[in-house]
Amino acid sequence: MATNDKPTTGMNVNRRNFLKSAGVAGLAETIVTHGDAAAQTGPTPVGPGETPVRLNVNGKNIDLMIEPRVTLLDALRTRANLTGNKRGCDRGACGACTMLVDGHTVYSCSTLAIEVQGKQIRTVDGLANGSELHPVQQAFCDKDALMCGFCTPGFIVASVGLLEKHPNPTPEQIKKGLDGNICRCGTFARIFEAVSSVKGAPRG
Amino acid sequence: MANEDFSWPASPSVLGTRVKRLDGPDKVTGRAKYTFDIARPGMLYGRIVRSPYPHARVVSVDISPAQKMPGVKAALVWRDPANLQGNSQDARVMFQGDEVAAVAADTEEHAIDAARAIKVQYEVLPHVTVVEKALSGSAPEVFTGGNVRPAQPQKNGDLEAGFQAAAHTIEATYSTQVITHTCLESHGTVCEWNGDKLTAWISTQGINGARENFAKALSIPQANVRVICQYMGGGFGSKALSVGAEGLICAKLAKAANAPVKLMLDRKEEHLATGNRPSAASKVKVGVSADGLITAIDAETWGTGGAGATAGFPMPYIYQIPNRQRTHKDVFINAAQQRPMRAPGHPQGSFNTEIMMDELADKVNMDPVEFRIKNLPPEAPNAMWRSYLREGAAEFGWSRRHPTGDRTSSPIKTGMGVSINTWGGGGRGPAPAHCEIASDGGVVMRLGTQDLGTGTRTLVAVVTADSLGLQPNQVRPEIGDTLYGVSPTSGGSTTAASISPGIRVAAVKALDTLKEKVAPALGVDPASLVAQGGRIQVKDDPAKGLSWADACKHIGPQPIVADGDWRPGLSSNTTSGAQFAEVTVDVETGIVKVTRVLVVQDCGLVVSRLTAESQCYGGVIGSLNFALFEDRILDRNTGQMVNPNMEWYLLAGMSDIPRIDVRLKNQPERGVVGIGEPPTVSTAAAIALAVRNAIGVTVRSLPLTPARVLATLAEQKAVGQQKA
Repeated sequence: MATNDKPTTGMNVNRRNFLKSAGVAGLAETIVTHGDAAAQTGPTPVGPGETPVRLNVNGKNIDLMIEPRVTLLDALRTRANLTGNKRGCDRGACGACTMLVDGHTVYSCSTLAIEVQGKQIRTVDGLANGSELHPVQQAFCDKDALMCGFCTPGFIVASVGLLEKHPNPTPEQIKKGLDGNICRCGTFARIFEAVSSVKGAPRG
Repeated sequence: MANEDFSWPASPSVLGTRVKRLDGPDKVTGRAKYTFDIARPGMLYGRIVRSPYPHARVVSVDISPAQKMPGVKAALVWRDPANLQGNSQDARVMFQGDEVAAVAADTEEHAIDAARAIKVQYEVLPHVTVVEKALSGSAPEVFTGGNVRPAQPQKNGDLEAGFQAAAHTIEATYSTQVITHTCLESHGTVCEWNGDKLTAWISTQGINGARENFAKALSIPQANVRVICQYMGGGFGSKALSVGAEGLICAKLAKAANAPVKLMLDRKEEHLATGNRPSAASKVKVGVSADGLITAIDAETWGTGGAGATAGFPMPYIYQIPNRQRTHKDVFINAAQQRPMRAPGHPQGSFNTEIMMDELADKVNMDPVEFRIKNLPPEAPNAMWRSYLREGAAEFGWSRRHPTGDRTSSPIKTGMGVSINTWGGGGRGPAPAHCEIASDGGVVMRLGTQDLGTGTRTLVAVVTADSLGLQPNQVRPEIGDTLYGVSPTSGGSTTAASISPGIRVAAVKALDTLKEKVAPALGVDPASLVAQGGRIQVKDDPAKGLSWADACKHIGPQPIVADGDWRPGLSSNTTSGAQFAEVTVDVETGIVKVTRVLVVQDCGLVVSRLTAESQCYGGVIGSLNFALFEDRILDRNTGQMVNPNMEWYLLAGMSDIPRIDVRLKNQPERGVVGIGEPPTVSTAAAIALAVRNAIGVTVRSLPLTPARVLATLAEQKAVGQQKA
């Protein structure tokens, strides 16, 4: 699953820009200054015991006491009763855990909860508006793009992420956009049909 | 007067239509609660300690360090060398991943930590994990009575005469690999005790089978066990036969901790310990007459189903060969035992047979479709291959298929292949169903079956709605709980054919009662009434009738109740199908891409067309995985599985999916037959034959990896040069 776009929040500084703007002459001084600042205000080490973590999930803040090693997926599934997204492989290969973090699709099984504090996290649990399904969810139902349904939450979130980035994706973009998800029942043909049918439809 | 005619309607209203899955909204929103999602008050998390060795004797297990770990509430020894029943062999672990001990703790992280703290001493023993070594006798003898168990030879006809009648013979060896089920929801259970009563949420294909398993193993009455499975993330056979050691360990941990325990396996455990499809190999000598009749086959076959399990498969598959001999050997290795996997034996038998068929067809210069038709058993309602082959060939554009070997200059070669399938899929009882119609018009159909993801819940509503003249969303199916009654395990594509008759009978009986209650108000004979279009009315006279809601107002405070069960005549067994595949093969990289698959498949009376078609899509893609990607690889020296994950255990993604067309044949006169398995039988062979047609060389083993394709091409080139 490609998340190559630049982050939309946080410090938009990368190594190349930093070197360019600082210039060679100012480099040493800048680094020293930066180091001093980090020593005074940088993050203090946490763990291995439980530590407070605040997550913004589907527009609501959730406060948890968890060990730093707990993944975003496990934090939400086992501590916040948000069990919509699933754990299939637990190492970023099957995509059942796919969530949106600041608009980017991520494997939440391979993302630590403490790392996504302050970010906007969206899970499959938050997509529908009451009993009104998100257009992608409705399309999956209409086209029978699911069987056992265990991979479905990940596919739905990946599809929503894809369509928010590319409202009218080409067939190739749909295929590549969903290549990070595995369906063992073999519903791919109908998932493709479902996502294609949502093209151009309004999305929330 | 009771209506004793339960036969399927001549002009159904809902049966055979494209009904959307009833539980779709629950699944797409994440509201559907799978076993993995169940949370109970005070619930603990279980974790199993497994053998890292393929063969070893457990010398000692010390759980005391784990018991002192944070959050740990229970620990147990599963394979206890200090407390052996019978001989010392019981302390052996027979495969990497064999269960040894277990813990339960307040969080999953604590359970993992505690499992690591358990000290197990092993005496490592010699192992056998290479089938060829077991067969040749060069492996250490691990299994009592030998690593190889020959089956009784099978003989039919006169082999010698058969070969004498042959104009050509070929000798070749075909083989398929071991693959694992890789259900996306792992095996797992939540167990909660109340005194000596157990409630178990378990990802299972058979809630009633699971109930019997738990009761027997835990020595409690079956009546004390309630098993629930509302949603499950795939089984494919691996969750059909037993709750497994993992289920029993969960129950024992919950008992020991006096708290509910959830024990879900991780991906590595899934690959190592929860079953697999056995390998299958055939060394054949086969003869064909000049006019294309197969006259004789002499087959030596073998396969491994792991540690002490069989590896049977049909050989030859479907085609008629009058003179034949077969010897089969089950080869035991130190790997987990096989479990049934979607059409057990058939995909293997199909590949072993169908590749041979095209090699024979080329010997007599016959088209593969015509060659197959020539050697098929007679046409019958459950053996429609001739018709399907012709119909499929016409639709697929088979006439454009070039002879073996794409002669164009491009390195991208194209080819087509064909293959056929059969499967039983018949029904059986008891499979009682209970129907209630309440005065508010509500309809409940309740039975102890389960929905694996195949669409059983939707099928229950479809059959009920059709019988009552309603729409499926007006019916509430209640399934997935042993409180709802007994029903067969969902395996062998038997569920639809087992439960549909009982549902039909219960619904028709309930309707008869409703008609009797409504008839006096309308001043007509109950026998003149029908249920259609959401009304109870005199046949073809909507004016003399009531809406469903108004009709049900005549029911009174007690709902109408009616029961039905499986009976003969509403279901039958055995399906037939044919599949066509088209591929491209890059002869420089060895990469195979499947471009098109056509499915022609029957399943008797089509109950729910949309979900039945989905079974075909799924079957094709599962078989494509078998053909191109999946392979359980064991290290030949250590016996360890090299790829127990989902990044190196390869499965198709969206970019690997061909165009798939499904032509589902309706045979209403046959009643209901299952469809879960047949569509996954033949795609792999069709793909392999399309590859053969493309590159002009036969790859006789699966999977068709780039390396294997290139190696086969290189081999052929070397042979060609030697001849030149």
